[in-house]
Amino acid sequence: MKSLSELTDFYYKVLFAALKKLEKDRKQLQYRLIVVAILFTLFTFALYSFVFSMMGSSSDIMMFFAFGYFALGAIIYKMLIKDYTKEFKEKVIHPLIKELDSNLNYESKQHLSQKYFRDSKLFNSTIDRYSGNDFVHGEIDDIHIEFSDIHAEKRHKSSKGKDNWSTVFQGLFIVADFHKHFSGSTVVLPDSAQSTFGDLIGGWLQSKNASREELVKMDHPEFEKEFVVYASDQIEARYILSHSLMQKLLVFKKRSKHPLHISFVGQSINLAIEYNKDLFEPSVFRSLLDYKIAMEYVQTLHLCIGIVEELKLNQKLWSKQ
Amino acid sequence: MSTNLIILGVIVIALILMYNSLVSKKNQVQNIFAGVDAQLKKRYDLIPNLVATVSKYMEHEKSLFTEVTKLRAEANRPNISDEHKIALDAKVSSALGSIMVAVENYPELKANENVMHLQASLNEVEEQISAARRAYNQAVTDYNNAIEMFPTNFMANAMNYIKKDVFQITENERKNVNVKELFNS
Repeated sequence: MKSLSELTDFYYKVLFAALKKLEKDRKQLQYRLIVVAILFTLFTFALYSFVFSMMGSSSDIMMFFAFGYFALGAIIYKMLIKDYTKEFKEKVIHPLIKELDSNLNYESKQHLSQKYFRDSKLFNSTIDRYSGNDFVHGEIDDIHIEFSDIHAEKRHKSSKGKDNWSTVFQGLFIVADFHKHFSGSTVVLPDSAQSTFGDLIGGWLQSKNASREELVKMDHPEFEKEFVVYASDQIEARYILSHSLMQKLLVFKKRSKHPLHISFVGQSINLAIEYNKDLFEPSVFRSLLDYKIAMEYVQTLHLCIGIVEELKLNQKLWSKQ
Repeated sequence: MSTNLIILGVIVIALILMYNSLVSKKNQVQNIFAGVDAQLKKRYDLIPNLVATVSKYMEHEKSLFTEVTKLRAEANRPNISDEHKIALDAKVSSALGSIMVAVENYPELKANENVMHLQASLNEVEEQISAARRAYNQAVTDYNNAIEMFPTNFMANAMNYIKKDVFQITENERKNVNVKELFNS
């Protein structure tokens, strides 16, 4: 696989012409957005003054206008950047993925099937709204891998009967074949209890987590500090999480710089990286040629597609030959 | 009067909790040892096949095969203690390791499909045994901690619970690969 610096080179050299054109579009778009925003704000304000003079002040009307302003504004914004986003994904993200591995397919509007998300056992709460985009799938060294941006939400009823949505997970969700045979499930989560409450109380709280299976204490102090492991079988969990895999997962966690949830279910490994934002979207108010912006696309793609090599998923063990 | 009753009640509940936690830790050790045992048995079952396949080629290593066969026979005897099984496991691991190293000296053996398959099965079993050992060691550590730590140590004493041994990780397994040494040899 291409290294990170090779990919950065590719971004700035091969994609340069496309980026130049996109940059021109972006500047026009930026200008258009500002003009539309000013007009839209003035219009809303005028309408509000009109209603105000007709009906007098009321907090309900003010709320209604504020809500309408943001909701409509978001829709207008989405519409305006639609073409630019499409162009960006086709001309930048797609070639980057192909460059990393030509066997991978990219569909910017699709997302990973919710079945994978549910089966991963990573998030226990019910999911009422599931969306995503930037779906990548294919085979690397005979290892099937799929990932996409995912936004999973849960609905709450407020006291007034209104729907409130809270995010269960937003970020990248990766599913890949795992190279060992196993029958149960093993879930590795970020360790929040132990780091908040200390070893003794945190450990006790973890062992009492009723929504999870048996707590597995791992014999790797650093890993144990970062993560907490729940599994259906103590021995199987350790069979999957060998010392070398734990070490590799720690390295991966450090590189991703975001909370990492991992599970081993069925025949696959599932990784959920919590970015809490929609990834691979074009930047509108900053240049695409900006190094920091470029690195965000390049690094994230390199990280996801790199897991096959990084975690040595392609080194099939004896059992799966 | 009622305060006395409350204190008595708290003490009784504490005793029950301590007793139950000790019993569950002991059972956890037994449970996982059963898992270890199953994996060890799988490996013992591979031994006759291995001996039959390779011994006729490897005249010089006769003593290794006699030893492995002897160890297997010993392990298959009924009613041997857990400690004995642990000790036997260490011996079998090292004996099988030596045989596998010796196989490297016989090119015709290394290329033999049967041997390759055996080697693969053996590696797989070893990997599972290693996981089972680690699970067992963790369960034993939890159990030993409870026996030695205050206040469960008094209860454990009264219940006649004694410390259990963990599997020793052999030096080879623990040692990191020294790349420099590899190049020097």
